[in-house]
Amino acid sequence: MIKVEHLSKSYGDLCVLRDVSAEIRKGEVVSIIGPSGTGKSTFLRCLNLLEHPSSGSIHVDGVDILDRKADITKVRQKMNMVFQSFNLFAHLSALENLTIGPVKLKGMDRHAAEAKALDLLRLVGVAEKADRYPNELSGGQQQRVAIARCLAMDPEIILFDEPTSALDPTMVSEVLSVMRRLAKDGMTMAVVTHEMEFACDVSNRVFYMDEGQIYEEGTPQEIFGNPKKEKTRAFVNRIRSYNYRIVSPDFDRYAMNAEIEAFCEKHILPRDTRHNLMLAIEEILEFYKPDLRSGPLDLAVTYSEKTEALEAAFERSGEWPNPLESDLQPDDLGLRIVKGVSEAVDYQVAGGRSRLVVRIGKE
Amino acid sequence: MRKSLLRPLIFLAMLVFVAGPGKAAAAAPAADGAAKADLLASVQPASPNGTGSKLSEVDELKDRRVGVLQGSAHVEYVEKTWPRATLLQYNTPADLLLAVKTGKVDAALSDAEPLRAMLRQDKTLGMLGGSLFSFPEGVGFGKENTVLLDQFNQFLARLQQSGIHADMVDRWMEKNIIDMPTIANSGSNGELVVGISDGSLPFVAIKDNRLIGFEIELSERFGAYLGKKVRFSQIDFSGLIAAAATGKVDMIIAAIFITDERRQSINFSDPYYEEATRVFGLKKNIAAYGTSITDSDSGVPFFTRVAASFHSNIIREKRYLLLWEGLKATVLISILATILGTVLGALICYMRMARQSVLNVPARVYISVLRGLPVLVLLMFIFYVAFASVNVDPLLVAVIAFGLNFAAYAAEIFRSGIEGIDRGQTEAGIAMGFGRFSTFIHIVLPQTVQRILPVYRGEFISLVKMTSIVGYIAVQDLTKAGDIIRSRTFDAFFPLVVVAVLYFLISWVLMLALEYVERSTDPQRRREQAVRQ
Repeated sequence: MIKVEHLSKSYGDLCVLRDVSAEIRKGEVVSIIGPSGTGKSTFLRCLNLLEHPSSGSIHVDGVDILDRKADITKVRQKMNMVFQSFNLFAHLSALENLTIGPVKLKGMDRHAAEAKALDLLRLVGVAEKADRYPNELSGGQQQRVAIARCLAMDPEIILFDEPTSALDPTMVSEVLSVMRRLAKDGMTMAVVTHEMEFACDVSNRVFYMDEGQIYEEGTPQEIFGNPKKEKTRAFVNRIRSYNYRIVSPDFDRYAMNAEIEAFCEKHILPRDTRHNLMLAIEEILEFYKPDLRSGPLDLAVTYSEKTEALEAAFERSGEWPNPLESDLQPDDLGLRIVKGVSEAVDYQVAGGRSRLVVRIGKE
Repeated sequence: MRKSLLRPLIFLAMLVFVAGPGKAAAAAPAADGAAKADLLASVQPASPNGTGSKLSEVDELKDRRVGVLQGSAHVEYVEKTWPRATLLQYNTPADLLLAVKTGKVDAALSDAEPLRAMLRQDKTLGMLGGSLFSFPEGVGFGKENTVLLDQFNQFLARLQQSGIHADMVDRWMEKNIIDMPTIANSGSNGELVVGISDGSLPFVAIKDNRLIGFEIELSERFGAYLGKKVRFSQIDFSGLIAAAATGKVDMIIAAIFITDERRQSINFSDPYYEEATRVFGLKKNIAAYGTSITDSDSGVPFFTRVAASFHSNIIREKRYLLLWEGLKATVLISILATILGTVLGALICYMRMARQSVLNVPARVYISVLRGLPVLVLLMFIFYVAFASVNVDPLLVAVIAFGLNFAAYAAEIFRSGIEGIDRGQTEAGIAMGFGRFSTFIHIVLPQTVQRILPVYRGEFISLVKMTSIVGYIAVQDLTKAGDIIRSRTFDAFFPLVVVAVLYFLISWVLMLALEYVERSTDPQRRREQAVRQ
């Protein structure tokens, strides 16, 4: 029902969306995920022209809404929006927030509109507060009223712009359960969200947005279970990383160690785990020492908040033999230490690069 | 509610009690006359030379504070004769009198005839020395209006020949008969607009809410001679010449001395009276009156004096009608100017918030110019410059001037109100399918109104008080009504107090009305009221 082709949006020199094409079909729930500032909200706001695209085309039910002749207000009436900051009309009670649209825009009879509004407030569980004003409601209640306000217009699709981001953690679930219910009832929804669980459980499709594009698109199983691209994987596993490039044997070892420690502290890793990580890195760098003059070595420490896996990866260009298996070492004490503190050691040579990955067990 | 009603009333009562008896400083218990005179004396600041001694002859004024009527020939006289004297200029004879009575000046210059009338009523005042000089008084005409000038001169010559002029002088000046004779006037030849200033008896005064006096009679007779209906326009003395020169009025008559300087701006008729100039002051400051002056009021109980003041200032000669007319003018100007200002302000606000500089820049200029201009200047400018050649009701000019001024402030109030509304409100309306305009009407505007009403109310009340300057363009508002009463009764304080009380009442009532609007537009209160019912 919505077809977007080659959509771009820039603010002056800043390009927020570049060449986005996508389709949202009737009855579908599409979740749009991705890091902050990658154009998710802008994309959504372009769909109902709250932001005017710089180029591209948007068709809603076959109507080109960027055409000057198109009646955009009519299109918006069947494509309502739920905002991060609720945006309930402050001068109207909850009930009046629901009736103003149908009465003023659709010429609905006031009594009929009120009866319907009460039904909808009942549906989202705030009928008791029908005559309250927005500032007298909690955030969760306000957002549920806002959803009911959308429903009052009988929309064909609802756009959700981070509906739970401004809420207290305790109120997130009350809003999400209302959204789950809408999805179950077959409402077409486009949801920009940071709630991965919701995106995974409820949606039919997931757009992962990054760098102003739909970077990867697929079913929740594909995106969350087996993402094809590195960035997607890092995002869905909530992987945090620390990178350091060693260019000479005389690199500042102490500075690097301090930064790794800070990284561990930030992600609240246990002291023993941190100690093991530092030990493993120190011993492995001993193995690399003879070769450090011949080219830079990249160290990446990664930690997945989802799987809690902590890894240290050493990568350099050229196809090298595994330094851990070299015969040059005077004794095998270093190797024993590395094996002792790590859960797994993996060495791969591919595409002209050699990569050693050590996984540190979390205790 | 009752309590909140009572409180201002109690305050008002106190105000009247303190300032009421006509002579604020004399409010002490009337024990004896001497004590009271002391009290009066202590209110007076010492004169510049520090002596504060009694005046025995006119020349002693050379280093004193001397009061004169602004724009009168007295100004020049004092400047030339006593260059070291402190010259203080007042707008109306009533103000001049007030200055003498409160000791702001040591003595003042006045035309002899009005002074005689004044002295008849107020026993605390006395003359100093004899006549300083005398000047012929003439009627002023615009330079182009020579036809009317000739007609007046013929009329005056006839009046003098027939002896009517002598009779008028006898009645008004000598015998102090203050009744207007009936003058038959067909009024079929149109209208004669005569500029007058609120002088005092015997020339111009108001009795039973009607203009009377020598000059009024003269004008009426001239009107009858021409067969034109006479319409009087009250203008401050200092604005009279400008009014005649710009053609705002057909002629001006206000005991104006024929001087060469004035001849440059307007033409004068043949003199209709020769007026002497005298000096007056408080008797107790003038040596000739000795030391045994007793205030006629002393010994009279406080409330009796208030009642007497009330009677003479409000009841006698139906002066309450003057106040009522003034009150109506003040309220009318305030309300109409507010309506005009609000509508215009909304337009300016729209322009100011537009992105196109074609709209935006003029609005910015308008706002900064209008806010940087005193309303009085704007008022005079519109009356004497913009509408110079158009015969326009001064009331309308006042409404326009205050409306223009109010619009500049209203525009900024509206803008800050609109900009204070969260953008999300507009976005939600638009996302729902409202157009830009209907989003503004249904969503932004109701919230803006609620938000700006308190500031708007304050601005409105200050507008009400600001209108007190419309007297400058001959509108008889509340302040002017008070001035007219003062110039007639020579009671310096009581009319002021009454006017103050009336202003307070207007502001208070209007404030309550706006507060009611404010409350009824507040949705949460509306619901609470619905619950209570």
